[in-house]
Amino acid sequence: MDRAENQFSGGRKYRNDDITVYWKPAACVHASYCYRELIEVFDPSRRPWVDMSGSTTDKIIEVVNLCPTEALAWKWNDDKKNATIGTDQVNHIKFRRPELMNIIEPVKEEHPVSVKIMVDGPIVLKGSFTLSYDGNTKEVNDNLISICRCGISDHMPFCDGQHRKIGFNG
Amino acid sequence: MELNSENKSQAKVEIIEFGPLKITGNFLLKDLKRDKEESLGEVLLCRCGRSANKPFCDDSHKK
Repeated sequence: MDRAENQFSGGRKYRNDDITVYWKPAACVHASYCYRELIEVFDPSRRPWVDMSGSTTDKIIEVVNLCPTEALAWKWNDDKKNATIGTDQVNHIKFRRPELMNIIEPVKEEHPVSVKIMVDGPIVLKGSFTLSYDGNTKEVNDNLISICRCGISDHMPFCDGQHRKIGFNG
Repeated sequence: MELNSENKSQAKVEIIEFGPLKITGNFLLKDLKRDKEESLGEVLLCRCGRSANKPFCDDSHKK
């Protein structure tokens, strides 16, 4: 299945004149790149939480591309642009941010598991690893999970975004 | 691809009940808060939020 196509089904949509941003809350692991990079557009305490008038199209595209999950995606409103310059622009932006490549790129065989301590946020694990908790063991293959670090998640051991509410500093 | 789909696991990640996150094996730890990158064979990461040595566990959860 084409991951990109899958990202545009379901969820909510937010438009400006150039692009539409797609939001799938169930896919979010609270890695928090979006609001740390661009709170003017992505503010979890506001309703609706996405305000497309808060920044430029280029900046919104850049930040949506930082999202390590399928929770945020974007498309040009002009379908002709999606067919021609869409992909190039995505790749261009990713290459400009080499420090983020290994959380965005699919993990290949033999690659170490990426363990990221997010700023005042969760532990984001990406890759292929054996996860055990509550006496159960499961294989995680080329996937991503986020583990609570602040101690107050209602969805333990996973992050549910509450670190932001308590102002977790860690 | 299909032949290699088994046993891809590079590391063991264990949620210790009322304790830290234990990771062993092939992994790379990147701490974006303290701007550090380390390749360690084994690590215990704080899950309670109270460690004085974040992101590592310092047994504060027992207090």
